[in-house]
Amino acid sequence: MATETSAQVLPYDEMARRHRIETLLTRAIIYALLLIGAAIILIPFLWMVSTSLKVERQLFEWPPRWIPDPVAFENYWKAWEQLGSIAPGLTFWRIISNTLFITVLAMFAEMFSAAVVAYGFARFRFKGRDVLFFIMLSTMMIPGVLTRVPSFLIWREVGLLNTYDPLTLPAWTAWGPAYVFLLRQFFLTIPREMDEAAIIDGANPVQVFFYVMLPLVKPAFLAIGVLAFQGNWNNFEGPLIYLNTTQLFPLILSIQFFQQSLSKEAPKWHYMMAMATMMAAPILLLFFMAQRYFIEGLNVGAVKG
Amino acid sequence: MGDPGAFNSYYPTFLRYIGTAIVLALLIYLTYQGLRKLGVKREAATGFALITPWLVGRILLTAFPILLSFYLGFTEYNILWDEPRSLKDPLFNYKRALSFKIVEFDKDERVSIAKLGQLQAEGPDIVRYRELDSVVIGDTRYVIAATDIYLWRAIWLTLRYAVLSIPLGMAGALGVALLLNQNVKGVGYWRTLYYLPAVLPAAAVALLWFWLFAPNRGLINWALGPIYDLTNSEPLGWFTDKNLVLPSFVIMSMWGIFGANTVILLAGLKNIPPDLYEAASIDGAGNWVKFRHVTIPMLSPTLFYVLIMGVIGALQLFTEQAFIPTEREDGWFVNWFLYNEAFNFGRMGYASAVGWLYAVFIIAITLLVFRSSAAWVFYEGAREKEAGGA
Amino acid sequence: MAKYLRIAIVLAMAVALLPLATSRAQEPVTLRITTWAGVDEAAEFQAIIDDVNASQDAFQIVHEPKPSDYYTVLQTALAGGEAADLMWLDQDHMPWAFDGVLLDISDYLANDDRDTANPDDYFPGVWQTVAMGEGVYGLPWIAQPVVLYYNKDIFDAMGHEYPNADWTWDQFKEAAIALTNEEHYGFSLNGWPPPYIWIWGNGGDVVSEDLAESPVDDPAVIEAVQFYADMIYNEECCPSQETIAEEGFGEMFKAGRLAMFMGGAADDLDRVEGLNVGVSPVPKGNATGENTTFAWIAATAINAKTEHPDEAYEALVMLTEGIHSWKIVSPRVSQATVEHLVASEPRKEANAEDIIAAVPYMRGFTLFPGYLEFNDVIWGDYFNPAFNGEDTAEALAPDARILLEDVLASQ
Repeated sequence: MATETSAQVLPYDEMARRHRIETLLTRAIIYALLLIGAAIILIPFLWMVSTSLKVERQLFEWPPRWIPDPVAFENYWKAWEQLGSIAPGLTFWRIISNTLFITVLAMFAEMFSAAVVAYGFARFRFKGRDVLFFIMLSTMMIPGVLTRVPSFLIWREVGLLNTYDPLTLPAWTAWGPAYVFLLRQFFLTIPREMDEAAIIDGANPVQVFFYVMLPLVKPAFLAIGVLAFQGNWNNFEGPLIYLNTTQLFPLILSIQFFQQSLSKEAPKWHYMMAMATMMAAPILLLFFMAQRYFIEGLNVGAVKG
Repeated sequence: MGDPGAFNSYYPTFLRYIGTAIVLALLIYLTYQGLRKLGVKREAATGFALITPWLVGRILLTAFPILLSFYLGFTEYNILWDEPRSLKDPLFNYKRALSFKIVEFDKDERVSIAKLGQLQAEGPDIVRYRELDSVVIGDTRYVIAATDIYLWRAIWLTLRYAVLSIPLGMAGALGVALLLNQNVKGVGYWRTLYYLPAVLPAAAVALLWFWLFAPNRGLINWALGPIYDLTNSEPLGWFTDKNLVLPSFVIMSMWGIFGANTVILLAGLKNIPPDLYEAASIDGAGNWVKFRHVTIPMLSPTLFYVLIMGVIGALQLFTEQAFIPTEREDGWFVNWFLYNEAFNFGRMGYASAVGWLYAVFIIAITLLVFRSSAAWVFYEGAREKEAGGA
Repeated sequence: MAKYLRIAIVLAMAVALLPLATSRAQEPVTLRITTWAGVDEAAEFQAIIDDVNASQDAFQIVHEPKPSDYYTVLQTALAGGEAADLMWLDQDHMPWAFDGVLLDISDYLANDDRDTANPDDYFPGVWQTVAMGEGVYGLPWIAQPVVLYYNKDIFDAMGHEYPNADWTWDQFKEAAIALTNEEHYGFSLNGWPPPYIWIWGNGGDVVSEDLAESPVDDPAVIEAVQFYADMIYNEECCPSQETIAEEGFGEMFKAGRLAMFMGGAADDLDRVEGLNVGVSPVPKGNATGENTTFAWIAATAINAKTEHPDEAYEALVMLTEGIHSWKIVSPRVSQATVEHLVASEPRKEANAEDIIAAVPYMRGFTLFPGYLEFNDVIWGDYFNPAFNGEDTAEALAPDARILLEDVLASQ
């Protein structure tokens, strides 16, 4: 009897053991693959930071050195001093304030106007609304090549080339259809009773919008804020076309200018990596602080659309 | 173009910025009042008034430029001139962009420009056919000649880039998303990690990869050193080698795009109801069957979204190219090619014409992808409707 | 509420227009000049500007240096209507005159008897770069011949004789090969020095005098281009493209990695610290038998859209006069002397005679309306493919001729 039982149990144990090993093996493979992926993601990052802290002669050391010796923190300001030598007045602080000026103005206008327009599309019925909304979504497909030259000519005609106007003023017209779309989806989830109650209480539509609606869509509002900040911070084509006085350049254009001029002869990789790191740092910081909004903004189009 | 000083360059713009906001607010208000006077109901008037900023912006800053661009396509316009000049042959720009023909040569004959001929159109320049490519069949060489070979090379490069980078990027992202969906510990951290490159500014990514791919001192050629030694071959030139420009851009894009797609696809995977898998298990389905018949259909709307975004992004690549200078002969991405035609080579009219053609092309491809979606994208709403109908 | 809004918008508009209003009505007139001057050059140039500003009350000149990406920046500024009143242009960019962006100063010159404004005092080969078609579009301020700089230490270490004016191009090439070893290369080319040195020295030219033909398939031109193509990026004598990209072109000579290098006569290559450098005219052209060389020419031009053309012209003449006693080599016949050169640039004293000796043998480009496109084609379809080894000069020449003559015929 005992032998019989064990004869029955053993294969079962064996099966369980095999199953465990199999699971363990699968888990190990999964984690190994994830780790390889992580290495592929991280090594270039580390290389960027490592290069940015090297002195010039260590750039070309063979085999490459991962931890610089000495650690050349001074690259982070020397790079800008170098740039200042060919573009007088274009100091680090000037570049940062230029960048922030453009980014903050455009971001604010974009968020605010997107909210207003989304509110209009979401909460009120009017003739032609759905057609207009469809047109708005379709404008996402219009390639930039179509409007680049004429936009340049229009701004030239009104004499506002080489100012920040083309980069900030149009943001008031809700130029990001994706943001309008995202906010509209959120407005739609708010029960109509909320604003109707407020109106009965004597609030006008402006008050309803500011005191009732905006607080309710705060997560989405912040999500588009984060995306708009990122978008304007990284915007390259606009400044490239509209700005030509070097002192007006934002960060991204300054870096390109540095690469085009100072690095033409011999690339100063340590300076360029320092600049790239500084370009990336605020966005990475923002990402770590507001990760949830990034991912929210990223997913809304895919999942809700 | 002198330095106006920080303050002087900020405050006029700032005032006009405030002014624009006020004008638009006023516009909303006046539209509302006007519509009300016309007897429109309160709700409709408010709604329409609220979207006027968008409407005005799109008319002035999108529709009008598009029409202007269409007009410019029939003119010659150097950026240094104040006015466009009319062309003797209004279609000259379009002919210059699109004309191509096939010319036969003897197999060993040199392909001479004289024999390829010139464009029969009256324009500011004499435009000749140039060799784009050739095929030898028997004793004859068939030369494909075009009037703007750089445009065709740009299109060819951009298309190949799209065809390679989009599926590879999607497959990779799907793979990682599937791995992360296996009840991995600390999935949030992994997700953050994989998303990192997608947050980086394209400019920083381009500079970084330009450096990683540097032929003699780059990290990648160092890592591949043993392979070069083993096979006794020269280190690859990557961005500086005309045959490797495309793969280099594709590899770079994989690193950059990967993360964003992974996050989107992962969210899509999490949204698949577990009971569907359970039901499949009860039916005795294996992993592959589950993947093929549950995961893929349920994920297809997300895949579709990723695909559309990928197509639009790949066909309009610009910033990366600006930071990674390659030779025009080796191929530029179309967007960069057009920027240079307009702003550096003084052919704004031509760039407008080609811009129109390219825009139509992009929109056509996007619509094609949309149309194809009926065949493979599975919408839950549709499923419910079917179920309800049955 | 509408009332407040209306008041607010009027206020905002008024404040917005304020900066425009305050920038008007200034005495004297402010003129802007844009140049590619780097930090040191800008400081020296400022001294000349200060003198001009102090000597009269009609205008004040403000200098706006753009030391990098100069022509791209300038073209955008011209396109945007933002460019300065005066600008430096090298001969390659003088054809912008044909696009109507430069002011024709021939009427002013006719009524001006100062030497600086006298066309006859300029070398004809230099004057042709500003006098195009019917008009005159600027005043040249420099015409420096390309000369051969050599690193004496490398020559000494290798036991090689120094370059001299009697060298032929074949001797030069042999020397470049002999002076190449693990540590250094004999010479370096990357499109600079201009292949025209060899073409002209061989008795050829890329455009006929009547501007109708482009005889680039002439054996003399083919031979010259092939000579260049055989040396460029050929590691027997010269660094590869990759090496130049990584170490820098002029930087390599300064770092002692090149035995010979060609640069403009005014370059600072002969006063690099720790480097013992000599200067020689370029070798003798096979056909001319002279040290035919290329002249790097630059002029100051006036923006056609300037609001103050009279003052700008006055400033142009005064500045040019000042620059002629600063920059070497002055493009004027009366100033082509060792004394004037040394007075302008004392650091060139040791090599002044060699430089002045090179002056009669230098020349610039022939300019015409389609020049910029012509230049693109000749590099894109002739020089570059030959230099990159895609094909021989002889095979490329016939097609290049057809394309170049198309450009000439289009104008």
